[in-house]
Amino acid sequence: MSKPNMPIILETQNLTHVFPDGTVAIKDINLQIHAGEFVIVAGANGSGKTVLLRHLNGLIRPTKGKVLLEGEPISKNIIAARKQIGLIFQDSDSQIVGQTVAEDVAFGPENLRLPPEEVNRRVKTYLEVVGLSKLAQQSPHVLSGGEKRKLAVAGVLAMQPKIIMFDEPFTGLDYPGVVQVLRQLVSLHQSGHTIILVTHELEKVLAHADRLIIIYRGKIVEDGTPEEIIGRSEQYGVRMPLGENERVDAMTWLK
Amino acid sequence: MAQIVLFHYFPRNSILHKMDGRVKLICMILFSVAISLVQSIPSFIILTASLILITLLAARLPLITLLKDMKYFSFLILIILLVNSFVIPGRPIPGFPLPGVTVEGVMTGLIASWRLVLIIMVCAVMTGTTSLITLKNVVEWYLRPIPLVPETRIATMINLTFVFIPVIFDTVSEMLSAQKARCVEGRRNPLKRIMFIAFPLLVQTFRRTEELILAMEARCYSDDRTRAVFATTAKDWLILAFTVLFLAFILFYSF
Amino acid sequence: MGESTALNLRLTVFAALFTALIIIGGYLSIPLGAVPIALADFFVMLAGLFLGKKWGLASAALYVFLGALGLPVYAGGKAGLAVLFGPTGGFLFGYMALAFVVGLIASQKKPSVLRNLTALIAGNILLYAFGIPWLKTVLNLSWEAALTAGLTPFIPGAFIKIIVAAAIAQALLPRFNKSIADNAEQPEDEEQ
Repeated sequence: MSKPNMPIILETQNLTHVFPDGTVAIKDINLQIHAGEFVIVAGANGSGKTVLLRHLNGLIRPTKGKVLLEGEPISKNIIAARKQIGLIFQDSDSQIVGQTVAEDVAFGPENLRLPPEEVNRRVKTYLEVVGLSKLAQQSPHVLSGGEKRKLAVAGVLAMQPKIIMFDEPFTGLDYPGVVQVLRQLVSLHQSGHTIILVTHELEKVLAHADRLIIIYRGKIVEDGTPEEIIGRSEQYGVRMPLGENERVDAMTWLK
Repeated sequence: MAQIVLFHYFPRNSILHKMDGRVKLICMILFSVAISLVQSIPSFIILTASLILITLLAARLPLITLLKDMKYFSFLILIILLVNSFVIPGRPIPGFPLPGVTVEGVMTGLIASWRLVLIIMVCAVMTGTTSLITLKNVVEWYLRPIPLVPETRIATMINLTFVFIPVIFDTVSEMLSAQKARCVEGRRNPLKRIMFIAFPLLVQTFRRTEELILAMEARCYSDDRTRAVFATTAKDWLILAFTVLFLAFILFYSF
Repeated sequence: MGESTALNLRLTVFAALFTALIIIGGYLSIPLGAVPIALADFFVMLAGLFLGKKWGLASAALYVFLGALGLPVYAGGKAGLAVLFGPTGGFLFGYMALAFVVGLIASQKKPSVLRNLTALIAGNILLYAFGIPWLKTVLNLSWEAALTAGLTPFIPGAFIKIIVAAAIAQALLPRFNKSIADNAEQPEDEEQ
């Protein structure tokens, strides 16, 4: 179900990161992601998946290797790259920069110096998209966990990126929260965005993915369709969901 | 502490709420200047009456709540009254049991505390009708022409400070109740008490701040941002003109 | 984003954090005899230790500025020019001096307890050097009365705050400096 017929949008070449204390976080990651793909990156805690994600939009600089966005190294114009590659962090509380919901969504477009009318238009549009229009003037602090995650999504969408990356989007969410985020994910994918999602909770989302990548101790150890790989996930510390005989298309919390 | 943030701003649909924040700030500064200049009791009465009318009609603020908030200042007011009563030389009050209190002193003290109350009222009207976001934008606008002042940075700092306050408050109250559960109250050593509050508070807020910085970078933070738009209407100019005339009239008759 | 812009952004955000901590500190107090220990100046000291002279000063100055605008940030929810130029206003200006001097003397690179303690004591002397003459002038007090009202009751608290601030800097500064200096090289990963 991979999309090899689509152009490669994001690529890493020998991406390696060594922390100052000598720990190797990721090593020789070679990855090609096609436009419109829904990729899940799975791995146990400390496997390096968050570090990998943060390299893809240049938040962390590699020790060796590079990241290419549509064939160009992102280090050439990191702001342009970050505009194209949105990242939704695991902790949605600590990515709130606005005193109101609307102001938080406006933060990205304002950084891009868009004209005020365009900023307002985008705030309105993307609050509508995630269903938070009614809360526009509220303090983000009073939102529920699921609503905060949606706000983070709206804030990233307002920059109109092509690729959207999610770091553990289900952490700390209750059942309705997970369902809300899943709906959002599926509809973003349908509207043509490339989705890269880091998680270890495969049973909640795997059915929607085109491709599953497993990282183990900083290296890619498996890369293919979910059906091919799921049976081998447990040896890398990723819990295989729902028992041996369960089908991949049942691995979702979306009914 | 969510209430500190909301404490002074009352969302309403009044004339002053709709006013251009920049013009409103000028009017409020003019009022403060007039308050510190007036001398005669009738001028004080006119100013007080007009401020009460402004609070109730033009700003539609709950006067009683504002007056209750003034209790924080009661100590300051009391000190001003007492010190003046004893320090200013003059005639002793006939039949007053405490020696050293003078008629002139009490009068000066009363006028000084009256002034203080009026200036606090002006501040309360300004912050009660202007959201923190607008206030931040107004500050940024007035700082812009001053050379060497990084007005965007200051505006960002103001904004972030008010994003942090509810976060810190929640962290503190969570910590305090967790510590209560472990009977920290019983500890008398103030050194340890401060350590037990400050240390975990800093560790937690530092971690969150690091995340927030990454989130701001991921959303392309830039000092060169979309600027806030202000709209000055004929009504704003009319209010300004009226304020100037009214205060000039009072000051003229005050001497 | 160039390196220096990234570093600047980090310090800006941390300075805003310290301003918020100073504000919250004004609402928190620890009982100690008759005079409770307020924590606003404690966080001003930490701002100087952690952020250095420039950004420590920025953090304290923003605090004073927000209160002057009429926002209820001064201790106990007070605000406005009336407080800033009132009897205790000298202490508010003293906060700026405190943060600056602590940042100036304290060691940023290698934490040294002795140097940090010197910085904190010097900063506190300056704080009261601003606060007490101001108090005396505004209220027309004698020197004796000004010292009794503005210094004596706060000495035990000030010493406790100085010791705790130095201890915290010793424990947290190495990690803090690392996170400020190298752009996002922290070996973070995932939740529990």
